[in-house]
Amino acid sequence: MNVLIFYTALFCYLLSALSYLVHLIYSKKPIERFGHYALLAAFFIHLVSVIFRYFQAGHTPITNMFESLSFFALCISGFFLYLKTTYKISSLGCIVLPFVSILLIWALVYPTDIKPLSPVLRSYWLPVHTTFSFLGNAIFFVSFLVSILYIIAEREIKKKKSFLFSARFPSLETLDSINYRCMSYGFPFLTVGIITGSIWAGFAWGSYWSWDPKETWSLITWIVYAILIHNRLAIGWRGRRTAYLMIAGFISILFTFLGVNFLIGGLHSYM
Amino acid sequence: MQIVVFGLNHNTAPVEIREKLFFAESQIPQLLNTLRDRGIEESAVLSTCNRTEIYFCTDHTDESLAAIKDILVSVFNIDNQALEKYTYTFKDESSYKHLFLVASGLDSMVVGEPQILGQVKDAYRMAVHNKTTGYLLNKLFHKTFNVAKRVRSETRIGYNPVSISSMAIELSKRIFGELQKKKVLVVGAGEMSEIALRHFKKEGLHEIFIVNRTFGNAKKLAEEVGGIPYPFENMSDLLAQVDMVLTSTGAEKHLIDAGLIVQVMKKRKNKTLFLVDIAVPRDIDPLVNNIENVYLYDIDDLKDLSQKHLSDRMKEAEKALEVVEGEVAKFSLWLQQSEKNPLIAFVIDKAEAIRLKEFKKISQKLKNADEETLRNIDALTRSIVSKLIHPHVALIKQDSDREISEIIKQLFTLEEKDEKDLDNRDEGQ
Repeated sequence: MNVLIFYTALFCYLLSALSYLVHLIYSKKPIERFGHYALLAAFFIHLVSVIFRYFQAGHTPITNMFESLSFFALCISGFFLYLKTTYKISSLGCIVLPFVSILLIWALVYPTDIKPLSPVLRSYWLPVHTTFSFLGNAIFFVSFLVSILYIIAEREIKKKKSFLFSARFPSLETLDSINYRCMSYGFPFLTVGIITGSIWAGFAWGSYWSWDPKETWSLITWIVYAILIHNRLAIGWRGRRTAYLMIAGFISILFTFLGVNFLIGGLHSYM
Repeated sequence: MQIVVFGLNHNTAPVEIREKLFFAESQIPQLLNTLRDRGIEESAVLSTCNRTEIYFCTDHTDESLAAIKDILVSVFNIDNQALEKYTYTFKDESSYKHLFLVASGLDSMVVGEPQILGQVKDAYRMAVHNKTTGYLLNKLFHKTFNVAKRVRSETRIGYNPVSISSMAIELSKRIFGELQKKKVLVVGAGEMSEIALRHFKKEGLHEIFIVNRTFGNAKKLAEEVGGIPYPFENMSDLLAQVDMVLTSTGAEKHLIDAGLIVQVMKKRKNKTLFLVDIAVPRDIDPLVNNIENVYLYDIDDLKDLSQKHLSDRMKEAEKALEVVEGEVAKFSLWLQQSEKNPLIAFVIDKAEAIRLKEFKKISQKLKNADEETLRNIDALTRSIVSKLIHPHVALIKQDSDREISEIIKQLFTLEEKDEKDLDNRDEGQ
């Protein structure tokens, strides 16, 4: 039943991604609107599937690869919907939504069955720590995509040769302002995620900080974003340079999330 | 009746002749009256800097053409041979095909330019005002507006700008998005500055600064078009404030060099600066483009871009031609039918006029309605009208002794008289 809801959400995401792609090529208003409603439907169905799983499992469903990827995708599409309320960024849909769809398909590679929760994770800190961390990471993922787009579009305008991207996607200023917003939401979430994690570690493992690879890498990530904020506010870094740092920051997140789980191991490798 | 167009355009006549055969807006009513006096039943005059054309409907084409040539010869003092040499005459299908092409911008010097549709609308409005349009021209022009709209929405013919200042605006939109709150500085007070200034105004920019070496000229331009004149010495202060700069002066050397912009960018805290230099020789050092968050386009960059956009438009023009040809075929069919049985055309036209009037009323009332709602209402009214009309048309077609036709005709003419009462009743409800 749960998997069926999940598939419905995936279907809606794909539908939405496809219509945004078609909209990008033919720029037809009704197709854009259809894409928007498909995204709304996908988000709510996906949300229902996560809530459903929460009640089925009796704990926050962010405890294995399937659940994590699915929740990560949910955060991304939710944040994208939020951004859509202030910016005219339908054209970004054809970049964000394929990624959301891929994340969900990727999630399906892993076993979807609910297993009993390992004793270490049985804590009220689980939902708090994971939700904040995932939200922060999802926001930075969006800013990662926006930054890549910014760098391509900026290059086009500077080189004056072709305008493939800059003519179709939001203006440089809009992209930069989205980046700024991602920074000002993502960073607090990430910070709270790390602090709550540390407190939880204090309860669960008896030490607030034990230089476990995941902890180390999330600290590195935090430092990268802190530098970014400092440079933006104090020195006035904006545009291209911010975009490069955003990309660096996200690569660090990627390493924290995947590299540590798959390559190094450590206290966090539950999944 | 035959639909005919007689005229000249930028392809057939050089600018000296076009200048000569130009009707100012104030002259057109008189011309329309003269044409009517000479027995031409319906006429409209389109006169722009690239074309002068007279569209008319008549039963005596040759006499009318002779009369028009007569009038032109006497008004403009041009000899008959020259007139023959530079003008063209299209009749029937090729005449309305020509109008469709003109209104869609396919016959323009800059393919796809949008102003021409407005000019065609003006030509029609003036003809309506002078009561020189009738059943045929009304139908033709409404159809034309329809075709032009279809061409705009179904092809990308007008998608990429080709004029220097509209390209500057398009580029700034790619950098800044919304322009209304942006500040712009115009350096120079010449003709190009004026054109650019008008374009910026049209885009809704209201903080426009003008500097010029001779302050008086900046002031004069500001008074004529709008903007805030500033002394030339304050230029670097302004550079730190504005988002966009357009330079077009006759200066021999660079007015703005890289060193100045580096300083300015520090003051601006790296806020993006977009510079357009359309002067020859250039006003801004090309090295400025290498500075972070600064974008500089000079006249050659814009010309290259314009060339590319123009060739894009040419590709789209082929698609547009298909649209036009389809519509020409439809219009021909409609003409044939209306000739065979004028009453059917009369009834359909009458009903359409009522529908349009009512539709206009409701769309004015529903100020907040979006495009889709209006489109739905439009479709709904169309389908109601066509269902109501259909039995009448069928009856007219079957009618051999013209008895029923006469009744239907009266029915629709009577309605004309009652319309006022109906309107009053509407208001009362």
